[in-house]
Amino acid sequence: MDFGHYLIAGVMPYVAVAFFVFGLGYRIVYWSKAPMHLHWELFPYPHTMLEQLKEMITEVLTLHSLYRFNRKHWLPSLMMHWGFYLLVGWLVVLLLGFSFAAYVGTTGGVLVLAGSFSLFLLRLLDAEVRKISAPVEYINLIFVFTLASSGLFSGFLGDIQLVRSYFLSLLTFKPDASIAADYLIPLLLFELFLIYIPFTRMAHFAAKFFTYHKIKWGELH
Amino acid sequence: MSAVAVQKVFDEYRVLSDEVLKPGEPRVEKFLRAMRKSLQQKENWTFWLPYTLSLDTCMKCGTCAEVCPVYQATGRKEIYHPVYRTDMLRKIYKRYFTLPGKLFPWLVGAEDLTEEKLNALAENVYRCTICRRCSYVCPVAIDNGVIVREARKIFDAIGIAPDELKKKGTRLQLQAGNATGMPAVAFLDMVEFLEDEIEETRGYRIKIPVDKEGAEFLLMHNAGDYLAFAETVMGAAEVMHAAGVDWTLNSPNTGINDAVNYGVFYSDVEFSAVIKAHVETARKLGIKKLVVGECGHAFEALKYLILRLIPPEERPFEVISILELEDRWIREGRIKVDPQKNPEPVTFHDSCKLGRLGGMFEEPRRILKACCPDFREMTPNREMSLCCGGGSGFAIMEKGGFLKFRMETYGRLKAGQLKATGAKVVACACSNCKAQFREIINYHKLPMRYAGVSELLANALVR
Repeated sequence: MDFGHYLIAGVMPYVAVAFFVFGLGYRIVYWSKAPMHLHWELFPYPHTMLEQLKEMITEVLTLHSLYRFNRKHWLPSLMMHWGFYLLVGWLVVLLLGFSFAAYVGTTGGVLVLAGSFSLFLLRLLDAEVRKISAPVEYINLIFVFTLASSGLFSGFLGDIQLVRSYFLSLLTFKPDASIAADYLIPLLLFELFLIYIPFTRMAHFAAKFFTYHKIKWGELH
Repeated sequence: MSAVAVQKVFDEYRVLSDEVLKPGEPRVEKFLRAMRKSLQQKENWTFWLPYTLSLDTCMKCGTCAEVCPVYQATGRKEIYHPVYRTDMLRKIYKRYFTLPGKLFPWLVGAEDLTEEKLNALAENVYRCTICRRCSYVCPVAIDNGVIVREARKIFDAIGIAPDELKKKGTRLQLQAGNATGMPAVAFLDMVEFLEDEIEETRGYRIKIPVDKEGAEFLLMHNAGDYLAFAETVMGAAEVMHAAGVDWTLNSPNTGINDAVNYGVFYSDVEFSAVIKAHVETARKLGIKKLVVGECGHAFEALKYLILRLIPPEERPFEVISILELEDRWIREGRIKVDPQKNPEPVTFHDSCKLGRLGGMFEEPRRILKACCPDFREMTPNREMSLCCGGGSGFAIMEKGGFLKFRMETYGRLKAGQLKATGAKVVACACSNCKAQFREIINYHKLPMRYAGVSELLANALVR
């Protein structure tokens, strides 16, 4: 096992997770500590915790803002987002040892692949969206697309027994880098992705909490 | 009048005169200094969070454009895309204030600021009324409106603001008590004239109290209403009188007698100075409730924006909209109405500031339904209401061909909506909306009139 291999499979996972957790944590704490701005709500907005939860979950699961007002972006975005939700789910069911994890992972991968590809095409071919896009917008989508392809085509998402043992070895801080030998590329991409997220707009899942709960839905209740 | 054509800096309109914009002078450095301040939490606590989140998190999906009146009405012209506008500031933000933009400008869409781009940005932030319809539909709740307003703030900090809003707006209001510059003597004459008018049209005389100390209600109108929309002022007075409450208007002798606060549109410094003067006036008069007349942004300012700016103990009075009072008094039976007195079909325009930004959707509808037998909704309405195009100061801005912009963008969509209702009267409860409707009806030759909600209510009063 060479140094690069050990780095990717034995060291980088920790570095990446640390970056993700602390990077994102730093931004969230920074936003939470922001001085309380003047009231800037938009009416009507959900007032109780339950109403807010309902609205938030509906938005997260169905992307109904896009469905209502920007239909052509809706299906591609929905596919990509559901792909990510399934991949998070995959990690959970995989660790819990469910055999159907392979299906969850593969479906998630396929959805992310299809979603990012169609979003990329949409951004490239629709002149209006193209005009408001910078190169980084395309790069992000290519990154996601590459990540999903490598996860799928290397067999990483379907190889549940091996991947599970590997993840468990990481979780118990006895990283068994040797067993991940076939999956160094998807692993590396995934690690880079985790490092990249907190510093980009892909952290919008966290930013959204503030734009909705603190600003648009306000604090009057 | 000078016949020299004004230099084109963005599109065919110019709201900022050469004297204000100074297009030939170097201003980039000053702009960047002011922008740096705007990005600091301490310097700009009032809007720091919505502002920076909106700069950082836009996903460039274009959902905002689908609901933007200007973009839609101009046949989806690129320069009026909401993100095109906010990207003009975002590109500067990235280039000078973010690491990736300093290192790889091309990659992240960061750009150097030039004097030409500065000119274009200064004009373009006055092509959006900050109606925040786009913000309402944004999947990430990004607020193009707050970015536009922050850009206006930066410009104001380097001395670039429309005369209508500053020199003849907040500055005049702070000095004269109202943004119309009407002195106390003229104001008192005006009130007497309105009493005469009421007597003439209704056949009875009422006393309109002025500068009464310790009254339960201080009713403060947009001072422009006395000159342009006196029917609303008279209507409100009749309602107050009919309700038999202890109320008063106030003259410039007591301080500020104009509910407007143009600072809402372009400057927190000005906003704060005006609202403090409002509070000071209300305290001096010792009133219990400050009633905001039919003025959208004044309601937003005094009802919501004030809350975290001035501690509760320093503003010992309640703020309430005239609509809330009227609605309540009708439901309580305190005032009686006969809807047959308003037989024409009536529709209602949701002012952005009262509706989407103020939550005042049902009160005006209940009032109108009570006093107009043929009430018709416009579509879309409520939170999806289309801005009329008078918002954020536009209603009082005409020069540089700007009236045409107002009429051909927001105005054209609104005219289409109005026509579709078949109504003869469009009711609204905001001075800026009324000023815009006056022009829309004229420009688009609509067979209808506009009216204040209080005016229609007063007309239906049963004595």
